[in-house]
Amino acid sequence: MAPRTEIKPDQTIPSVTKSITEGSILGFESTGILDRENIHNNPELAAKRLGTTYTLASGRMSITFASECLRKFFGAAVFNHTGTVNLKFLRPVKAGDTITVTGTVSGSVEIEGGTRVSVNLFCDNQDGNRTAVGTGTAVVN
Amino acid sequence: MPDKELKLFDYDKAEIGEELGSYEYTLTQEMVDAFRTSVDDPDAQFPTLGVKHDATAFAMVYDDQIGTVNAGNEVAFFNPPIVGKKITVHGRIADKYLRRDKPYIVIEATATDEDGRLLEKLSTYQLKKPDELGKKWHPEQK
Repeated sequence: MAPRTEIKPDQTIPSVTKSITEGSILGFESTGILDRENIHNNPELAAKRLGTTYTLASGRMSITFASECLRKFFGAAVFNHTGTVNLKFLRPVKAGDTITVTGTVSGSVEIEGGTRVSVNLFCDNQDGNRTAVGTGTAVVN
Repeated sequence: MPDKELKLFDYDKAEIGEELGSYEYTLTQEMVDAFRTSVDDPDAQFPTLGVKHDATAFAMVYDDQIGTVNAGNEVAFFNPPIVGKKITVHGRIADKYLRRDKPYIVIEATATDEDGRLLEKLSTYQLKKPDELGKKWHPEQK
């Protein structure tokens, strides 16, 4: 966890690297409360709607990976109560991919109750292709 | 879960601010374990991301024959959910727009627990023409 006094512009946050498997995609879907077929758990539906030969990992998996990076940087006590993540998805993520999330501090602004620190976030696959880009924030005291 | 008849989703008839209603569920340890295993993070505190509160609210109201691709997500965390607590989710259509002639809606959900703790706000930017992305990813397919 980075204390406020140690957070600097362009500072690198901890990265995470995740292997995406059919099991992890289906496991993520199994967390849900609806038993419904979608492009994440039904390859025929993915083929019909997207023309893909594979199911896609939910974009929310990348949100979760980015959240892990930010939680490790800000600390759970801060991030789990003030954190935000905003990602735009650029490419599909599928089983067999390895996704690495990285980030750097982009700025900070004083607000009521603390300082909101912003982080630029990047998700890249094993081929070096960017799968998502966005920002994360948290409020430190 | 309420077992009610779904409405056929019609993009042209969807309205900004349209309520998707509320639903409740109880967070179980099994859900937490499945989520943490799937994302390979034993300390992950928001299995609610796997529940997909906003998309679930939408799916409880609409039968979407076209499907969707998730173009982006925004989430704000306020308090981690607690196993065994009942979670109430309220959803709505927050926005609707065309970008490069492609139809999008933004669905949004707010989750609180039975003690009134605000847990999470989640929004999804949904492209309601998923075959367009399929063509982009697989240009050989027309």
